[in-house]
Amino acid sequence: MQLLNLNVDCIIIHQIFKRDQDGNVVTPAQSREFTLFEDSAMENFKSRVTDALGDGSKAVAMQIFEQDAGKVPALIDQMIEQDDETFAVSSYDLAKKLADAQHSKGIPGGIVVVFTGKQGPSQKKILGIIKAEVHSGYEKIVDDVTGRIALKFVEEVLLTPGTRLYKTAGFYEKTEYPETVSDLNDKWAVMVSDHQINKADGKFAAQYFYSSFLGLGYPKTSARTTKTFYESSKKFITALDAPPEKKSDLLSALNTYLKVEESSTVSTTEFASRYFNEDTQDQFGAYMEEQGVPTTAFTKDTEYIKNSLKVRKVKFRSKVNITGPQEAFNDLITIDTIEGDADASGTPAEWTRVIIKDRITDQE
Amino acid sequence: MNEAAFKEKWESERPIYKAWGDYIVTTITQALENRNKYISEFLKVPVKPRLKDTTSLIDKAFHRKKEYADPYNEIEDKIGIRFVVLLVEDIQTLCNIIENDEQKWTFDPCRHFHKEREANPLLFTYQSVHYILKPKENIELDGAVIPPSTPCEVQIRTLLQHAHAELTHDAIYKSKRAIVPEVHRTVAKSMALIETTDGFFSDVTQLLNYGPLEEQNVIKRLDALYESFTSMAPHTSKSSITIWDEFEELIDENLVEGIQTTINQHSFLADVIREKYSENVFYQQSTVLFVYWMLKKRKRKLLNSWPLHEAVLEPLANDLGVSTEV
Repeated sequence: MQLLNLNVDCIIIHQIFKRDQDGNVVTPAQSREFTLFEDSAMENFKSRVTDALGDGSKAVAMQIFEQDAGKVPALIDQMIEQDDETFAVSSYDLAKKLADAQHSKGIPGGIVVVFTGKQGPSQKKILGIIKAEVHSGYEKIVDDVTGRIALKFVEEVLLTPGTRLYKTAGFYEKTEYPETVSDLNDKWAVMVSDHQINKADGKFAAQYFYSSFLGLGYPKTSARTTKTFYESSKKFITALDAPPEKKSDLLSALNTYLKVEESSTVSTTEFASRYFNEDTQDQFGAYMEEQGVPTTAFTKDTEYIKNSLKVRKVKFRSKVNITGPQEAFNDLITIDTIEGDADASGTPAEWTRVIIKDRITDQE
Repeated sequence: MNEAAFKEKWESERPIYKAWGDYIVTTITQALENRNKYISEFLKVPVKPRLKDTTSLIDKAFHRKKEYADPYNEIEDKIGIRFVVLLVEDIQTLCNIIENDEQKWTFDPCRHFHKEREANPLLFTYQSVHYILKPKENIELDGAVIPPSTPCEVQIRTLLQHAHAELTHDAIYKSKRAIVPEVHRTVAKSMALIETTDGFFSDVTQLLNYGPLEEQNVIKRLDALYESFTSMAPHTSKSSITIWDEFEELIDENLVEGIQTTINQHSFLADVIREKYSENVFYQQSTVLFVYWMLKKRKRKLLNSWPLHEAVLEPLANDLGVSTEV
């Protein structure tokens, strides 16, 4: 889901706390007033949201699992139609639900920002929830007279650039949906940005936010999306103007990225930034978007490509094939291009030197 | 007309000539400013009309070999103005201004080094462009009436031509000693060198000011695209040039079409631009379309090399919902 032309209408902020010593929920502090930003601060706020949910972000699409009244998705479906006063009150319900969902004492408090606005070419509604952890920082203070710079310690700093310290969920109203919806997924597309999801074994750490609090789950389409990502990347790499050994390395990297890494998400931007130079990153990004791969991250599911990931193949014009487990390709096989015999015009033929660090056990 | 009558007439008409010279300077410098030239940069020597002093004027009229039938009217450099510029191209700019039909003067292009080079290809000597300007009809300036018979000599030359003229004028024409051939030869050699150097200066300036941006006519085509897309008039400012300098390598023959495709896929951007047009000057430039295109297609490069403050980029990234977190 792309976040285009975001316009924010109102913002309200509540505060939640970490559970007390005995593990009991501490009642969140309620705010009854909307927060007003000046133009420049508003643009900055939009940037934070865009960094979290926009193109190239680590946000993933999620599906609404909890459809029942009283659960957060149904609550949001109602809230979006409420007048300002009622909305201010119900937004506090979200803060309470988040406080409840923070099941362990280890989960930090922070602020809960609830905002509404419009997005997309036809300016459909959006409701966003940000949980921002409070951290400390410094404020620069310059002495007017001496010009000396001092740093003032600031105990509570919020929403600084870099999305590591906040979790964001965006509920996007879809452009078209039936008048009465039985499945909230028909009306709402949901994106969640939470750096913990992207981390290895992050699913569990992140669960309290996307699942316990928001009632969301991983979409069923992940396996298909992962397959599209894998196949499109392979096509892109094989078509690259690069020596065969470089392509071989990149294909191995692709396999490793999808198979070995423990992260539960996949992202075009992330893969590109690790393995491609600047120009190729941009070409890759544009190509993958054309192929229908999400421009944000998405949840990884290698179900449909399990077998392909196990085996690497190298084929030659002469019908010679080398096939083997991915791990063996990584550890035991090196492939180089070398100059072969010269043809009639003196141009050397392109040959391939393969070294397999093993002995032959059987042949037919 | 004898010397006394000549002198009396000249003394009485000096203010008219002075006013005429001032008028020409003001008109030409104004025209240069209208072409976005900074006078202090464009003119390498401050321009000031110079009235001939009476003694040397009388000397020229009566005491030289040349015999004038009507010295007062035949001597046309009683007042002179000299424009000194850096490049041969700059001379052309001034010529265009002078020869513009809308000016209130008639011009007599009495000297041009291009013609002289053609006429005497083997000769390397004083080079300059000279015009005699006279009012088309009576011009009234600060109470003085300047009649069409009032000439003013305008000289235009490059800085190097000027240096040559200064040397030859002071050191040679005014020299009390006979000039040995070697001096003439050396001066001619330096003129040949000057002409060569002026040519190199022009080449360098052209190379500096001509790149893919000009070759592909990008700004003009993008301006047209901007105007048809938003129905607003684009204004290019300095920030655009900085951006094009930075991302010059992205310019090729497909760029403008690529930008067009991208913005057509996001047609709501037309509304966004119209809305922000008056509050943010960056949205008034057609370069905004290029930046949108980069956000979609060359984001990594854009973020790595963005030459302006990030606050300029921020709203554009928000319009397209592109995360700028690196």
